[in-house]
Amino acid sequence: MDRKVTSLFGYVSKSVLLAFYALFALFPLIWMLILSFKPDSQMFTTTFFFDPTLDNFRAVFSQSDFLRNLLNNLIISSLAVVVSLAVGVPAAYALARFQFKGREDIAFTFLSFRFAPEILVIIPLYLIYQRLGLIDNYFGLIWVYQLISLPLLIWILRGFFEDISPDIESAAQLDGYSWWQVFFKVLLPLVRPGLVAAALLCFIFCWNAFTFTLQLGGNSTQTSTVSMTRFLASDTVHYGWVAAAALVSALPEVILALLIQKHLVRGLSFGAVKG
Amino acid sequence: MASVEIEGLTKWYGKRRGVENISFNLADKEFLTVFGPAGAGKTTTLNLIAGIVTPNQGSVKIAGRNIDGLEPAERNIAMVFESYALYPQLTVFENMAFPLRSPKYKQPEKKVKERVVHYAKVMKIDHLLDRQIQALSNGQRQRTALGRALVRQPDVFLFDEPLSHLDAKLRHSMRAELKEMRSQLGTTTIYVTHDYLEAMSLGDRVAVINEGRIHHIGTPKEVYFRPTTMEVARLFGDPEINLVMGQLKAKGLQLVVQILGENVGIEVPPDAAEPLRTANKVYVGFRPANVNVIEGNSKTAFHGVVYSFEPLGTKSVLTVDAADGTRIRALIDGRRTIQIDRRIQFTITPHSLMFFDADTHRFLFRSKVPIEEVANG
Repeated sequence: MDRKVTSLFGYVSKSVLLAFYALFALFPLIWMLILSFKPDSQMFTTTFFFDPTLDNFRAVFSQSDFLRNLLNNLIISSLAVVVSLAVGVPAAYALARFQFKGREDIAFTFLSFRFAPEILVIIPLYLIYQRLGLIDNYFGLIWVYQLISLPLLIWILRGFFEDISPDIESAAQLDGYSWWQVFFKVLLPLVRPGLVAAALLCFIFCWNAFTFTLQLGGNSTQTSTVSMTRFLASDTVHYGWVAAAALVSALPEVILALLIQKHLVRGLSFGAVKG
Repeated sequence: MASVEIEGLTKWYGKRRGVENISFNLADKEFLTVFGPAGAGKTTTLNLIAGIVTPNQGSVKIAGRNIDGLEPAERNIAMVFESYALYPQLTVFENMAFPLRSPKYKQPEKKVKERVVHYAKVMKIDHLLDRQIQALSNGQRQRTALGRALVRQPDVFLFDEPLSHLDAKLRHSMRAELKEMRSQLGTTTIYVTHDYLEAMSLGDRVAVINEGRIHHIGTPKEVYFRPTTMEVARLFGDPEINLVMGQLKAKGLQLVVQILGENVGIEVPPDAAEPLRTANKVYVGFRPANVNVIEGNSKTAFHGVVYSFEPLGTKSVLTVDAADGTRIRALIDGRRTIQIDRRIQFTITPHSLMFFDADTHRFLFRSKVPIEEVANG
């Protein structure tokens, strides 16, 4: 009886604490959700009572290029992740498997791309891009996004490749497979959780990237992150529009994360984090 | 099924020696065990044969065909790894079928199934075919790894310490099972192990390897009873062989050897006298089983103080400090109990003595009296 009471108490208190934390963590999102449905006149009230309206959404989609910017973001972010995968998977494999001179230095150099804040390198990058004619260019943005996604991908996947015993590769080769077949039939399936998790993280970071597109993007390649700021002009400030746009922007990430939740948990807790 | 010829295989890992000048031949269907302590170069040898590691020098021929420079897949070799190297994302069936579905050894799906099921029965894992690898015990994984090697009917089998991760009891029963299986398989096999019992019980011949070099190749009896060097003698047998410095002296027509700082000499068996005539100082080796603790006094016995006593069931291991302080290991009947610090007397069976050169540590002689007689005497 005693034990039953304590376990019930434990269950209840744990649930209350978790609920409180969830509320704390999600409150900004909830507030954003509320804002997006508020009319401009009630924007600054702090009560939860308002007259819900879809005007903000209507305005965002009809009175601006937001849909196109969203599409731009999708194109640039996905292609950036694809390029990162094509380059990063072999790189991670090589850094995990082969002993060569300067291996750790190279791995560290990749990681160091993430050390400096973007704003620090944006001026030189701007000058270089201007000379190369890559300003307001899809290719240019995809290229510069590698700074965001490649280090992440390489470092997560490297841990995964290191976890696979080289014996497994040898065994598959002796079983009659060429190296490429071993890579695609044995190794890739084994690192798939890591691959999915890393790719998703890369996508989220690219999707949310702001500084690079602000400076290196232009009218034709404007992404949604930058275009949202246009709703905050000096004369008119449409908080409701910003909230609606941010809400729509967040949707792809949420949907993706939910779809591959299973891989995500496994992928982030295996391999990458180890002693 | 094929013969194997290995000639001068050498592999350096930077400045560290992997193996040097490894040469041996295997007849068709022969079973060779490669035995040595950890880090001796056993696995390197296998990897060189399998083509996983490229040698600096030397060549490998299988069935007369030179396979140097061929990819592992082209060599028609099956290997069982120490770590099992199973594919964790596949089931037992898929693991075993993997080689038969490869581009190189492709079989029709019907035949794949037939063979996998057949060898799963041989390995007694036919009830586990649908299991994931993670759901298997170590012993079952071991069987799956063996099964995956068997299904393909390769020219040569390579085993890399396949039993080393099993617990002692399972290891002994698997050893017996492997011995039973090898008579059915009839494929040329190279089996690496660090367990001298496995090496001796499974192999037609044993190659003793240490520090990257082969020290001795011979039948299990040869390497045990007539090891080429003292190092080889030390590697076989548990408790370890006793190796002590001895002084040869002529005593009339007889040759005697004095050891352990006592005047009692052991009479060298008559057939050993001639080859040892020119030697003066030798190392004398004798197995713990050939040390006989005697009751009462004897003029020909050695003296010692019991340092430790470990009962092991049918036998007990006795460690004795001899008169000159040398520690001697003896294996005695398990029913006897001997107190620590007790003074005892012991004799050593003369026919069991091995003589090694004092400087080179190379084998000189051991009496040719039939081994059975020595064992019983």
